[in-house]
Amino acid sequence: MDDQVPENLELKTLVDLDPLIHAPARLIVLTYLYVVEAIDFVYLKRVTELSWGNLSRHLSKLEEAGYVEMEKTFQDKKPHTMIRLTDRGRDAFRAYKDGLQEVLGNLPD
Amino acid sequence: MSQNINLKEADRKIFSASFDDGLLDIFLACWLLIFILGPFLSVYLGDFWSSFVFLPYWGVVYLILRWVRKHVVNPRIGSVKYGPIRIKKLTTFTILMLVLNIIFLLLGIVAFLMPIGSGWRFILPFSAMLLISFSLGGYFLGLTRLYVYGLILALAIPVGEWLYQNFGASHHGFPVTFGFVATIIFLVGLVKFITLVRDNPLPPEDLPILEPDNG
Repeated sequence: MDDQVPENLELKTLVDLDPLIHAPARLIVLTYLYVVEAIDFVYLKRVTELSWGNLSRHLSKLEEAGYVEMEKTFQDKKPHTMIRLTDRGRDAFRAYKDGLQEVLGNLPD
Repeated sequence: MSQNINLKEADRKIFSASFDDGLLDIFLACWLLIFILGPFLSVYLGDFWSSFVFLPYWGVVYLILRWVRKHVVNPRIGSVKYGPIRIKKLTTFTILMLVLNIIFLLLGIVAFLMPIGSGWRFILPFSAMLLISFSLGGYFLGLTRLYVYGLILALAIPVGEWLYQNFGASHHGFPVTFGFVATIIFLVGLVKFITLVRDNPLPPEDLPILEPDNG
Protein backbone atom coordinates (compact mmCIF):
# COMPACT_ATOMS: atom_id res chain seq x y z
CA MET A 1 0.00 0.00 0.00
CA ASP A 2 3.01 2.26 0.47
CA ASP A 3 3.35 2.68 -3.28
CA GLN A 4 -0.11 4.15 -3.64
CA VAL A 5 -0.59 7.85 -4.12
CA PRO A 6 -1.80 9.28 -0.83
CA GLU A 7 -5.38 10.43 -0.84
CA ASN A 8 -4.42 13.79 0.56
CA LEU A 9 -2.34 14.65 -2.51
CA GLU A 10 -4.12 17.76 -3.68
CA LEU A 11 -3.62 18.01 -7.39
CA LYS A 12 -5.59 21.21 -7.28
CA THR A 13 -2.59 22.81 -5.62
CA LEU A 14 -0.48 21.92 -8.63
CA VAL A 15 -3.07 23.45 -10.96
CA ASP A 16 -3.22 26.54 -8.77
CA LEU A 17 0.51 27.23 -9.09
CA ASP A 18 0.99 30.64 -10.64
CA PRO A 19 1.71 29.96 -14.35
CA LEU A 20 3.47 33.29 -14.64
CA ILE A 21 6.06 32.14 -12.13
CA HIS A 22 6.11 28.51 -13.25
CA ALA A 23 7.98 29.23 -16.52
CA PRO A 24 11.60 28.11 -15.83
CA ALA A 25 13.27 31.33 -16.91
CA ARG A 26 10.91 33.53 -14.89
CA LEU A 27 11.24 31.22 -11.90
CA ILE A 28 15.00 31.69 -11.98
CA VAL A 29 14.67 35.45 -12.41
CA LEU A 30 12.28 35.65 -9.45
CA THR A 31 14.50 33.41 -7.31
CA TYR A 32 17.37 35.86 -7.68
CA LEU A 33 15.13 38.88 -7.17
CA TYR A 34 13.72 37.28 -4.02
CA VAL A 35 17.11 37.17 -2.26
CA VAL A 36 18.18 40.75 -3.01
CA GLU A 37 16.80 44.20 -2.36
CA ALA A 38 17.47 45.33 -5.93
CA ILE A 39 19.64 44.25 -8.82
CA ASP A 40 20.53 45.88 -12.09
CA PHE A 41 19.78 44.44 -15.50
CA VAL A 42 23.41 43.62 -16.32
CA TYR A 43 24.00 41.74 -13.05
CA LEU A 44 20.73 39.83 -13.39
CA LYS A 45 21.60 38.87 -16.96
CA ARG A 46 24.95 37.56 -15.77
CA VAL A 47 23.65 35.36 -12.94
CA THR A 48 20.60 34.05 -14.82
CA GLU A 49 22.64 33.38 -17.98
CA LEU A 50 19.69 34.50 -20.12
CA SER A 51 20.14 36.53 -23.28
CA TRP A 52 19.43 40.27 -23.23
CA GLY A 53 16.25 39.91 -25.25
CA ASN A 54 14.98 36.88 -23.36
CA LEU A 55 15.53 38.49 -19.97
CA SER A 56 13.90 41.69 -21.18
CA ARG A 57 10.79 39.85 -22.35
CA HIS A 58 10.39 37.92 -19.12
CA LEU A 59 10.88 41.05 -17.04
CA SER A 60 8.27 42.88 -19.10
CA LYS A 61 5.75 40.14 -18.34
CA LEU A 62 6.59 40.21 -14.66
CA GLU A 63 6.30 44.00 -14.66
CA GLU A 64 2.91 43.84 -16.37
CA ALA A 65 1.73 41.48 -13.63
CA GLY A 66 2.99 43.91 -11.01
CA TYR A 67 5.53 41.42 -9.67
CA VAL A 68 8.59 43.55 -10.37
CA GLU A 69 9.28 47.24 -10.69
CA MET A 70 11.99 48.69 -12.85
CA GLU A 71 13.71 51.98 -12.30
CA LYS A 72 15.16 53.14 -15.60
CA THR A 73 17.79 55.85 -15.39
CA PHE A 74 20.98 56.91 -17.14
CA GLN A 75 24.43 56.60 -15.60
CA ASP A 76 27.26 58.30 -17.46
CA LYS A 77 24.87 58.68 -20.41
CA LYS A 78 24.29 54.94 -20.49
CA PRO A 79 20.98 53.22 -19.68
CA HIS A 80 20.80 51.73 -16.22
CA THR A 81 17.88 49.65 -14.99
CA MET A 82 17.43 48.62 -11.37
CA ILE A 83 14.93 45.85 -10.82
CA ARG A 84 13.25 44.92 -7.57
CA LEU A 85 10.51 42.57 -6.48
CA THR A 86 7.31 44.32 -5.44
CA ASP A 87 5.43 43.26 -2.31
CA ARG A 88 2.91 41.60 -4.60
CA GLY A 89 5.67 39.73 -6.42
CA ARG A 90 7.25 38.67 -3.13
CA ASP A 91 3.92 37.35 -1.86
CA ALA A 92 3.26 35.56 -5.15
CA PHE A 93 6.68 33.94 -5.14
CA ARG A 94 6.26 32.86 -1.51
CA ALA A 95 2.84 31.39 -2.30
CA TYR A 96 4.30 29.59 -5.32
CA LYS A 97 7.15 28.19 -3.20
CA ASP A 98 4.77 27.00 -0.49
CA GLY A 99 2.41 25.50 -3.08
CA LEU A 100 5.21 23.66 -4.80
CA GLN A 101 6.55 22.35 -1.51
CA GLU A 102 3.07 21.17 -0.60
CA VAL A 103 2.72 19.25 -3.85
CA LEU A 104 6.21 17.78 -3.81
CA GLY A 105 6.07 17.06 -0.10
CA ASN A 106 3.01 14.90 -0.63
CA LEU A 107 4.53 12.82 -3.39
CA PRO A 108 5.17 9.18 -2.47
CA ASP A 109 8.79 7.95 -2.49
CA MET B 1 20.38 27.61 -18.38
CA SER B 2 20.34 24.61 -16.11
CA GLN B 3 20.07 25.88 -12.55
CA ASN B 4 18.36 24.39 -9.55
CA ILE B 5 15.93 26.61 -7.70
CA ASN B 6 17.61 27.01 -4.38
CA LEU B 7 17.30 30.28 -2.48
CA LYS B 8 20.45 29.76 -0.43
CA GLU B 9 22.42 28.92 -3.55
CA ALA B 10 20.95 31.93 -5.35
CA ASP B 11 21.97 34.18 -2.46
CA ARG B 12 25.47 32.69 -2.42
CA LYS B 13 25.85 33.02 -6.20
CA ILE B 14 24.64 36.62 -6.24
CA PHE B 15 27.06 37.54 -3.47
CA SER B 16 30.15 35.64 -4.63
CA ALA B 17 29.66 36.98 -8.17
CA SER B 18 30.55 40.38 -6.70
CA PHE B 19 34.03 39.09 -5.91
CA ASP B 20 34.77 37.42 -9.24
CA ASP B 21 36.67 40.49 -10.40
CA GLY B 22 39.86 39.63 -8.48
CA LEU B 23 40.11 43.11 -6.94
CA LEU B 24 39.78 41.75 -3.40
CA ASP B 25 42.71 39.41 -4.08
CA ILE B 26 44.81 42.24 -5.51
CA PHE B 27 44.00 44.39 -2.47
CA LEU B 28 45.00 41.55 -0.10
CA ALA B 29 48.27 41.09 -1.99
CA CYS B 30 48.96 44.83 -1.67
CA TRP B 31 48.07 44.65 2.04
CA LEU B 32 50.71 41.93 2.50
CA LEU B 33 53.40 44.34 1.33
CA ILE B 34 53.58 45.66 4.88
CA PHE B 35 55.12 42.33 5.93
CA ILE B 36 57.50 42.37 2.97
CA LEU B 37 58.69 45.97 2.84
CA GLY B 38 57.94 46.98 6.43
CA PRO B 39 60.97 45.19 7.94
CA PHE B 40 63.31 46.93 5.49
CA LEU B 41 61.72 50.32 6.03
CA SER B 42 61.97 49.94 9.80
CA VAL B 43 65.74 50.18 9.49
CA TYR B 44 65.36 53.78 8.25
CA LEU B 45 62.05 54.87 9.74
CA GLY B 46 61.79 52.87 12.95
CA ASP B 47 59.13 50.26 13.73
CA PHE B 48 56.26 52.72 14.27
CA TRP B 49 56.71 54.94 11.19
CA SER B 50 57.52 52.01 8.95
CA SER B 51 54.03 50.70 9.72
CA PHE B 52 52.36 54.11 9.70
CA VAL B 53 53.62 54.89 6.21
CA PHE B 54 51.43 52.10 4.87
CA LEU B 55 48.19 53.85 5.80
CA PRO B 56 48.33 56.38 2.92
CA TYR B 57 49.63 53.61 0.66
CA TRP B 58 46.56 51.45 1.41
CA GLY B 59 44.38 54.50 0.90
CA VAL B 60 45.80 55.06 -2.57
CA VAL B 61 45.51 51.35 -3.45
CA TYR B 62 41.90 51.34 -2.22
CA LEU B 63 41.02 54.42 -4.29
CA ILE B 64 42.63 52.99 -7.42
CA LEU B 65 40.82 49.66 -7.04
CA ARG B 66 37.55 51.47 -6.33
CA TRP B 67 38.02 53.50 -9.52
CA VAL B 68 38.68 50.27 -11.47
CA ARG B 69 35.61 48.70 -9.91
CA LYS B 70 33.41 51.64 -10.86
CA HIS B 71 34.68 52.28 -14.38
CA VAL B 72 35.87 48.87 -15.57
CA VAL B 73 34.11 46.15 -13.56
CA ASN B 74 30.64 47.54 -12.78
CA PRO B 75 29.77 48.44 -16.39
CA ARG B 76 30.54 44.81 -17.27
CA ILE B 77 28.95 42.88 -14.41
CA GLY B 78 26.42 45.37 -13.07
CA SER B 79 25.55 46.07 -9.47
CA VAL B 80 23.33 44.67 -6.76
CA LYS B 81 21.83 45.80 -3.46
CA TYR B 82 21.93 42.89 -1.07
CA GLY B 83 18.93 41.68 0.87
CA PRO B 84 18.53 42.03 4.67
CA ILE B 85 19.87 38.55 5.48
CA ARG B 86 23.11 39.18 3.60
CA ILE B 87 23.47 42.65 5.11
CA LYS B 88 23.06 41.17 8.60
CA LYS B 89 25.76 38.60 7.78
CA LEU B 90 28.09 41.34 6.51
CA THR B 91 27.49 43.41 9.65
CA THR B 92 28.35 40.42 11.86
CA PHE B 93 31.48 39.84 9.79
CA THR B 94 32.54 43.50 10.08
CA ILE B 95 32.13 43.44 13.87
CA LEU B 96 34.12 40.21 14.17
CA MET B 97 36.90 41.62 11.99
CA LEU B 98 36.99 44.75 14.11
CA VAL B 99 37.44 42.66 17.25
CA LEU B 100 40.14 40.56 15.57
CA ASN B 101 41.97 43.69 14.42
CA ILE B 102 41.98 45.03 17.97
CA ILE B 103 43.44 41.72 19.17
CA PHE B 104 46.00 41.92 16.33
CA LEU B 105 46.93 45.42 17.44
CA LEU B 106 47.33 44.33 21.05
CA LEU B 107 49.51 41.40 20.00
CA GLY B 108 51.58 43.80 17.90
CA ILE B 109 52.05 46.14 20.85
CA VAL B 110 53.08 43.25 23.09
CA ALA B 111 55.52 42.01 20.43
CA PHE B 112 56.87 45.56 20.05
CA LEU B 113 57.40 46.14 23.75
CA MET B 114 58.87 42.76 24.66
CA PRO B 115 62.15 41.35 23.39
CA ILE B 116 61.30 38.82 20.70
CA GLY B 117 64.15 36.32 21.08
CA SER B 118 63.38 33.19 19.12
CA GLY B 119 59.98 34.58 18.21
CA TRP B 120 58.01 31.35 18.52
CA ARG B 121 55.94 32.68 21.42
CA PHE B 122 54.55 35.43 19.22
CA ILE B 123 54.54 33.62 15.94
CA LEU B 124 51.95 31.01 16.78
CA PRO B 125 49.28 33.49 18.00
CA PHE B 126 49.80 35.56 14.82
CA SER B 127 49.50 32.45 12.68
CA ALA B 128 46.31 31.45 14.48
CA MET B 129 44.88 34.98 14.11
CA LEU B 130 45.57 35.03 10.37
CA LEU B 131 43.99 31.62 9.93
CA ILE B 132 40.92 32.62 11.96
CA SER B 133 40.52 35.97 10.17
CA PHE B 134 40.70 34.51 6.68
CA SER B 135 38.52 31.53 7.62
CA LEU B 136 35.87 33.93 8.94
CA GLY B 137 36.14 35.81 5.65
CA GLY B 138 35.75 32.56 3.75
CA TYR B 139 32.70 31.62 5.77
CA PHE B 140 30.89 34.95 5.85
CA LEU B 141 31.74 35.98 2.29
CA GLY B 142 31.28 32.47 0.91
CA LEU B 143 34.67 32.58 -0.82
CA THR B 144 36.45 29.23 -0.59
CA ARG B 145 39.79 30.65 -1.71
CA LEU B 146 40.03 32.74 1.47
CA TYR B 147 40.38 29.52 3.50
CA VAL B 148 43.35 28.60 1.31
CA TYR B 149 44.86 32.08 1.66
CA GLY B 150 44.43 31.85 5.44
CA LEU B 151 46.16 28.51 5.56
CA ILE B 152 49.19 29.48 3.47
CA LEU B 153 49.50 32.80 5.32
CA ALA B 154 49.36 31.01 8.67
CA LEU B 155 52.10 28.68 7.44
CA ALA B 156 54.16 31.58 6.07
CA ILE B 157 54.98 32.82 9.57
CA PRO B 158 56.48 29.62 11.08
CA VAL B 159 58.16 28.76 7.77
CA GLY B 160 59.74 32.23 7.77
CA GLU B 161 60.93 31.75 11.34
CA TRP B 162 62.35 28.36 10.39
CA LEU B 163 64.21 29.92 7.43
CA TYR B 164 65.50 32.62 9.77
CA GLN B 165 66.75 30.19 12.40
CA ASN B 166 68.24 27.65 10.00
CA PHE B 167 69.39 29.70 7.01
CA GLY B 168 69.63 33.19 8.43
CA ALA B 169 66.84 34.61 6.27
CA SER B 170 66.49 38.31 7.06
CA HIS B 171 63.66 39.70 9.19
CA HIS B 172 62.44 36.31 10.41
CA GLY B 173 62.00 35.19 6.81
CA PHE B 174 58.90 37.38 6.41
CA PRO B 175 59.97 39.09 3.16
CA VAL B 176 60.54 35.69 1.54
CA THR B 177 57.46 33.81 2.74
CA PHE B 178 54.99 36.69 2.62
CA GLY B 179 56.44 37.76 -0.72
CA PHE B 180 55.76 34.27 -2.05
CA VAL B 181 52.18 34.24 -0.74
CA ALA B 182 51.49 37.80 -1.89
CA THR B 183 52.69 36.91 -5.39
CA ILE B 184 50.35 33.92 -5.53
CA ILE B 185 47.36 35.96 -4.29
CA PHE B 186 48.17 38.82 -6.68
CA LEU B 187 48.41 36.44 -9.64
CA VAL B 188 45.08 34.82 -8.71
CA GLY B 189 43.50 38.28 -8.59
CA LEU B 190 45.10 39.34 -11.85
CA VAL B 191 43.94 36.20 -13.67
CA LYS B 192 40.43 36.66 -12.28
CA PHE B 193 40.36 40.30 -13.35
CA ILE B 194 41.63 39.59 -16.86
CA THR B 195 39.20 36.69 -17.24
CA LEU B 196 36.29 38.84 -16.13
CA VAL B 197 37.15 41.66 -18.52
CA ARG B 198 37.69 39.18 -21.36
CA ASP B 199 34.48 37.21 -20.75
CA ASN B 200 32.20 40.15 -20.01
CA PRO B 201 32.26 42.71 -22.79
CA LEU B 202 30.51 45.99 -22.24
CA PRO B 203 26.74 45.61 -22.73
CA PRO B 204 25.20 47.08 -25.88
CA GLU B 205 24.43 50.78 -25.73
CA ASP B 206 20.74 50.20 -26.47
CA LEU B 207 19.82 47.60 -23.88
CA PRO B 208 16.56 45.89 -24.84
CA ILE B 209 15.05 46.73 -21.48
CA LEU B 210 14.64 50.33 -22.61
CA GLU B 211 12.83 49.37 -25.78
CA PRO B 212 9.03 49.25 -25.91
CA ASP B 213 7.66 45.93 -24.68
CA ASN B 214 6.87 43.60 -27.56
CA GLY B 215 6.87 40.34 -25.63
